[in-house]
Amino acid sequence: MTATRPATVAGGPLRIETLPSLPGLAGLYARGAAASGRIAAGRALPHLPVVGTALEPGDGPLALPDVAYRVSGVETDGLAPHLRDYQRLVHEPASDTMPAGYLHVLAFPLATAVMVRGDFPLPLLGMVHLSNAVEHRGPVRVGDLLEVRAWAENLRPHRRGVQIDLVAEVWPDGGGERALWRGVSTYLAKGFHLPDGSPSGVDGSPERAPSGTWAPPLPTGRWALGPGTGRAYGAVSGDRNPIHLSALSAKAFGYPRAIAHGMYTAARALADVGNARGDAYRWTVHFGRPVLLPGTVDVAVTPAEDGTGFRYVGWNAPRRLKHFEGGVVPLDA
Amino acid sequence: MATRKTTNGAPRGASSGATGSARTTGVRDAVIVGGNRIPFSRAGKRYADASNSEMFTAALEGLVARFGLQGERLGEVVGGAVLKHSRDFNMIRESVLGSSLSPQTPAFDLQQACATGLEATINVANKIRLGQIDSGVAGGTDTISDAPIAVSDPLRRALLAAQHAKTLQGRLKALAQVRPGDLKPLTPATDEPRTGLSMGEHQAITTARWGISREAQDELALASHQNLTAAWDSGFFDDLVTPFRGLTRDDNVRADTSLEKLASLKPVFGKSLATSAEVPAVPTMTAGNSTPLTDGASTVLLASTDWAQAHDLPVLARFVDAETAAVDFVHGHEGLLMAPVHAVPRLLARNGLTLADFDFVEIHEAFASTVLTTLAAWEDADYCKNELGLPGPFGSVDRARINVNGSSLAAGHPFAATGGRIVATAAKLVAQRAAETGKPARALVSVCAAGGLGATAIIESV
Repeated sequence: MTATRPATVAGGPLRIETLPSLPGLAGLYARGAAASGRIAAGRALPHLPVVGTALEPGDGPLALPDVAYRVSGVETDGLAPHLRDYQRLVHEPASDTMPAGYLHVLAFPLATAVMVRGDFPLPLLGMVHLSNAVEHRGPVRVGDLLEVRAWAENLRPHRRGVQIDLVAEVWPDGGGERALWRGVSTYLAKGFHLPDGSPSGVDGSPERAPSGTWAPPLPTGRWALGPGTGRAYGAVSGDRNPIHLSALSAKAFGYPRAIAHGMYTAARALADVGNARGDAYRWTVHFGRPVLLPGTVDVAVTPAEDGTGFRYVGWNAPRRLKHFEGGVVPLDA
Repeated sequence: MATRKTTNGAPRGASSGATGSARTTGVRDAVIVGGNRIPFSRAGKRYADASNSEMFTAALEGLVARFGLQGERLGEVVGGAVLKHSRDFNMIRESVLGSSLSPQTPAFDLQQACATGLEATINVANKIRLGQIDSGVAGGTDTISDAPIAVSDPLRRALLAAQHAKTLQGRLKALAQVRPGDLKPLTPATDEPRTGLSMGEHQAITTARWGISREAQDELALASHQNLTAAWDSGFFDDLVTPFRGLTRDDNVRADTSLEKLASLKPVFGKSLATSAEVPAVPTMTAGNSTPLTDGASTVLLASTDWAQAHDLPVLARFVDAETAAVDFVHGHEGLLMAPVHAVPRLLARNGLTLADFDFVEIHEAFASTVLTTLAAWEDADYCKNELGLPGPFGSVDRARINVNGSSLAAGHPFAATGGRIVATAAKLVAQRAAETGKPARALVSVCAAGGLGATAIIESV
């Protein structure tokens, strides 16, 4: 994964649209307007519609907006309390250095802003987070002046619909040789089809063995996730998708109970790796079965057999269901 | 004009730090004079309303009575508790003040999970060996029944913020942050903070990795109960234990247990490992071959040989040397309770000894399988080569020398009190053996602890 310039499917450059500040929660924190981590993102994102005006399935060809958002001069001086809340929540050690998962949270509102544009062809709600890949070239510290960019790309078929990549980058303000951080979030929109009509394709998600047949490794840890896990991460990350907040709101989207944010579980795994990850690392995750809340997740975070970095996997032990798996691999500086 | 600077006049005790010259060169022997503990009791039973400091004071006062230390200024009293309330800062010093020792006896608290008692002994012995003190008491106490209960972090932070606020408005604002869920009290857990797995679950993984059978664990548990019962019946503990709250014997020991009874118990740990791809393992760890939660306290009196002689006190044994270790368990490289496996080879190498040189081997029975994985690891050539850096297997231990008077499975395991129980037991065992045979006797002590820690020591007859 190399940091490429934003481009359309056809290869043409995306139109750069510069926003005055990061929308939402992180921007509020940065301006010191909020002292508490309990600010609801629903309140923090008032100017964004809750549901994008998506086209109905089969409503004509899908096309991603040819625009990339950019916010420069992002101040991080005021982020210390927010970073502290994040670190406590995902069990990162207290530090002024931002873990890769925190930069995901920082860039999330801008990526969301892309997805809630009127010309974004897919519905924000109901999209399934399939996988995430981050290159963290860091370190990024509280006080650094940053530029954040976000766009959507790579609309492609999935066996159950279409998938897209939401790309976000964090740069030193004013640019530089390469991004300090680059995250690619792959989402699935079920029931949509591309013009060529091919619904099948490589979906990038882990193999879904039938329930009860997968054999897990020995655990190195066990997470007891309380019923408020989704609400807590929603408050800190700003991602207050109803499927994470309560059983009632999750049922509306077809889940029996609230489910944990995938990025919360991946961030916990990243924190578990600890200092061994170094300053620069590639952090990947593929999401499997959702983690129902409250719930217990067995995890194995172990050094990779080839000696490069760590692998991790999380599962439901009684039902032998894989929730997520991924890796944390050091990058050469 | 004479000024009186203290209210209690001149020091009464004879022990006052380093003897003789201004600089101490080399080390001298630290000897174990004796020990005293209260009977250990299963959590929630006889000591249900006894506090840590009450139990420690009782054990300490029994030691004072046994060795006539009333009014004596000892060099130091060192001990601790694993589950300790924040108000119990200086708990050991407060116990000293509540005892018949001279109030001029210094004290401090330390804590190293289940190795607390042995670490306290190491500290006191080292000070004696360096000539910094001539006498000291090491010990520990723990209660599950009277464990401190904490409030949640959000409630605690809100209460602290309210306390720090200068105005009523500020206080109310701080308290308004509290959510109903924050009011749930937090009871102490034996989960490893970094992994979220309980100690039993960690050990279940280690047990599975080493393929330790249910039968072997139950046999070891049975031996612990039988050995401890025999030791009580023979009067071994008559000069090591003082009754407390009407209890005269450890109440967890089951003289009438049997392999059949132990075999009938359902597994409690490692139940989810049966489907593991790495080590598909039928769960083997039960309440019968795991240590029960227990209340209790223990103490050991250590001294220099000169001090013991000057006070006309007997000497059981010499505290020769000690080694602590820690293992990398967080990502499963090593088992949580395997640190003593690493410590002992280093300890023995430093002292030019092998496992065969020990008449007694005291391995704390956190779980029966802890003892068995320890023994299996020392016999495994690959493991000893790759993990311990040894040329081959470290060696075998004659089962007849292990925990001959029972250990934690039978006696119970009040975390910080176990070290003192084992040190006193081992010291008396080598003293008895040496008296019987006329030859020196030696004991190895090994205690595993949470956090991947372990403490080990050598005790030798004098």
